[in-house]
Amino acid sequence: MKFKHDRFKLSLSMAKWMALPLMFLFIGCGEGQDPASTGDAGAKSETMDEEGMMPARRQKAFKKIFHAVPSPIETALLLERSGINFDGDALHSLDKAVGYSTTELQAVNLGIYAGDLSYSVIFNQNQQSVDYLNTCRRLCDGLGVGDLIDADLIARADNNRSIRDSLVDIVTETFYALNARFRENGMEEVGGLMAAGGWIEGVYLGTLSLNTSTEDLKLRIAEQKMTLDNLMGLLNSYAPTPALTAMKEALAPVEAAFAGVRITENQAAATAASDGTVIISGGPEVSYDQATLAVISETIAAVRNQYAQ
Amino acid sequence: MNVMRSAMTAIKKFPLAALALVMMFTAADAAAQCRTFTKKRCLPQLDDYVQNDNYNTAVLIPGDEAELELTFFGDRAYRLLVCGHPVLGDLTFQVLDSRGNGIYDSSDKDSDHFDFRVANTQQMTIRVQVPETDGVIQHEGCVSIMVGSKG
Repeated sequence: MKFKHDRFKLSLSMAKWMALPLMFLFIGCGEGQDPASTGDAGAKSETMDEEGMMPARRQKAFKKIFHAVPSPIETALLLERSGINFDGDALHSLDKAVGYSTTELQAVNLGIYAGDLSYSVIFNQNQQSVDYLNTCRRLCDGLGVGDLIDADLIARADNNRSIRDSLVDIVTETFYALNARFRENGMEEVGGLMAAGGWIEGVYLGTLSLNTSTEDLKLRIAEQKMTLDNLMGLLNSYAPTPALTAMKEALAPVEAAFAGVRITENQAAATAASDGTVIISGGPEVSYDQATLAVISETIAAVRNQYAQ
Repeated sequence: MNVMRSAMTAIKKFPLAALALVMMFTAADAAAQCRTFTKKRCLPQLDDYVQNDNYNTAVLIPGDEAELELTFFGDRAYRLLVCGHPVLGDLTFQVLDSRGNGIYDSSDKDSDHFDFRVANTQQMTIRVQVPETDGVIQHEGCVSIMVGSKG
């Protein structure tokens, strides 16, 4: 009797393991190829057609909430327009990338290097830009998404190293694809940590020379209270993990420092300028003092150096 | 009795596991198809803008809503693009300020994007609606909320 029971359990177990590969075969897995890039214009998916549509799999409507933060390129553009000087010595050391062995450190430092890459691109540091892209590639390899920064992309960046707009396109397209892949592969945590790293590096670079910075730059730094709010919303939208919890704890002193920035909410309004451009004005008023900015600078440097050691 | 109980447990558990796997891989494939859709149909409309690199794309059905909160920086021009599969009909969207007051409503306009300049930095919310349909067969499709900026 015991023998028969064991056989039955064995056959069930075998059935499960035999069924799994079959399911993979029928369902298909991996990434949908862009027919345009593969030349297979007639390719069809069994699930959703190439135009992104299929019969609905659910009936009940829901509300999807997205959380987003400004990209490192947008932050670097802000810094440039605010009159900051390029400081190559402030960037994260390239050779440290090989030492990051955990997913947590690889993800956060990918964001930090993305911040440095964006800063280098915007300030026309051509060779440095390619070097930082190569370093991002190394970390992407470790995260299992190295194919998104392949040799062809590096060569494209190298060939366009003197054309800022082309490099900006390459960087934004690449990091958009990375964010998409992290979402598709259920690696949202990695995307969130990368976004945090990029935000931290942007604010770190912006606060390095506060004593000599323009009023515009100081205002831009104070306004980062709003983007920090976006970032915390993003991090809180994921199921908690030790790495996300550690990041939120690391950012707690930065949040406390930004509490010194006062934002008075006012109603915004859209008006049409004489050339037809719609201008949104009104909205929040931001006020701060030098001491608050100094604490922001200290706390952001601490969290940045905690991860980038 | 033990054999029967084991069999029942397996029958109960296995379809659930199978269903979970089916849903997981179907969802992953749909997400990948959405990226292809976005690349082909949406990104070209942000040609003159620096694209925000966040991936705000989801598979939605009629009656769904999507919402995105983002900070827009002062003295910068933006294009907000709400790009959805045509099978979902005409998507509508509103832009709200940080207090929830409406700034823009696409309902009475024939455009999938909103071009504007922000005078001073502010957080705004973009709210998107997929119209209800009375069709017998409902379809789902990809919807992307994209933001580009320029000097």
